[in-house]
Amino acid sequence: MKPFFAQIERDLLIAWQNRQDLGVMLVFFVIIIALFPLAIGANATVLDPLGVPVIWIAALLAILAGFDRLFAQDVRDGWLDQIALSKLDLGWYALAKAISHWLTAGLPLLIMTPLMAMMLNIPPQQWPPLLIALLIGSMGLTLLGVIGAALAEGARRGTALMALLILPLAVPLLIFGTLASQNERGIISPHLMLLGAVFVLLLALAPLVAASALEIGETETGL
Amino acid sequence: MIMTENDHQKTAHKTVPSAADNSLHINQLSVLRGMVLVISNLSHRQSAGDICCLTGPNGAGKSTLLRTIAGRLPAAAGDITCAVPITYVGHTDGLSGAISGRENLAGWAKINGFPATENAIDAALSSFATNRFADLPARVLSRGQRRRLALARLALTPASSLWLLDEPNAGLDQESSRILDEFVQKHATAGGMVLAATHLDFAAAAQPRSLHLPGLVT
Repeated sequence: MKPFFAQIERDLLIAWQNRQDLGVMLVFFVIIIALFPLAIGANATVLDPLGVPVIWIAALLAILAGFDRLFAQDVRDGWLDQIALSKLDLGWYALAKAISHWLTAGLPLLIMTPLMAMMLNIPPQQWPPLLIALLIGSMGLTLLGVIGAALAEGARRGTALMALLILPLAVPLLIFGTLASQNERGIISPHLMLLGAVFVLLLALAPLVAASALEIGETETGL
Repeated sequence: MIMTENDHQKTAHKTVPSAADNSLHINQLSVLRGMVLVISNLSHRQSAGDICCLTGPNGAGKSTLLRTIAGRLPAAAGDITCAVPITYVGHTDGLSGAISGRENLAGWAKINGFPATENAIDAALSSFATNRFADLPARVLSRGQRRRLALARLALTPASSLWLLDEPNAGLDQESSRILDEFVQKHATAGGMVLAATHLDFAAAAQPRSLHLPGLVT
């Protein structure tokens, strides 16, 4: 387990040195949310039910936008070569990447969410289901992004391809996530459980898929 | 196809052959890049304490061979057996520009399970005289300085390990090349193996063996 945590530690150190990226991501999140009311118009009966979906769309875009460089930098630096020879399995490496990416992108978004909920006039009793659903949803989206980033690594000009691959797969998370967030009788709802199921499935599969994608990508396009 | 000690630990079904002496065996290896046969029917044996220089013109497949031994490229035919840990220093130094050389080296030691105490890292850094710039972010360093940080990893590897060095002394100043030569000789004396692709003089005092790749005439 020590190599696994060493990889997370390394990614967090790098993320801290590149912390302006985090600011850009958060501003992106806020701007998307701020643009919706401007486009829809100042009509409270229309805007009120749109609060939760708008937060979800913004979170989805903000999280997935940060993924294009997840593995690219490690490949360019030659770090992936070092990982391949190390005691850290590529699957664990991909999971470590997912965890550090969630800590530096998903978690800050989650912390910003109450502020955004206030801005969108979402009643406070709706915040707990929203935050719990967004917690699970953001972790699921991060795992999806890891798959996409690993697949894109093999394909030249992978970024656009990644969005095409990943956005359709994000649909279940989006559907169950928004429904669970709008549950009016407490936090636990069938939708939240289905959201959790999708997340658990992704947790089991994403590292394996990413590992084999990285392996193939490297052998086809490596130096 | 390729068995290393690391693979052995990762996947239980691969077993290192019983004749697992500390040596490298390459048996009738062929490697394809795209549709081009870069290495054809190459056999090579190297035992503990051997230094071997890989020579040949550009494009002869030197880097390809090193990356294949490192397990980064698949072999089209033939097999490679190596029962000792492998350390690879390639064209890309494996350093993140955002963090310091010291943090890069410590992270590398930890993911390999090598000693990562402050003393061990300090000693490794000073072996290639990198202390003066080891705490700067790696992106501000020169090519040669980055290369020295990458080579400092070698100080942390176990005595028996196989070093795969791709143009290790390209971009190094004379003093660092001398340190590298010394390092390589010491490693060989301690029972390690070195396979280095190089166009420059390399560990000449140790009279290394030479493996020549002619390049393919098509």
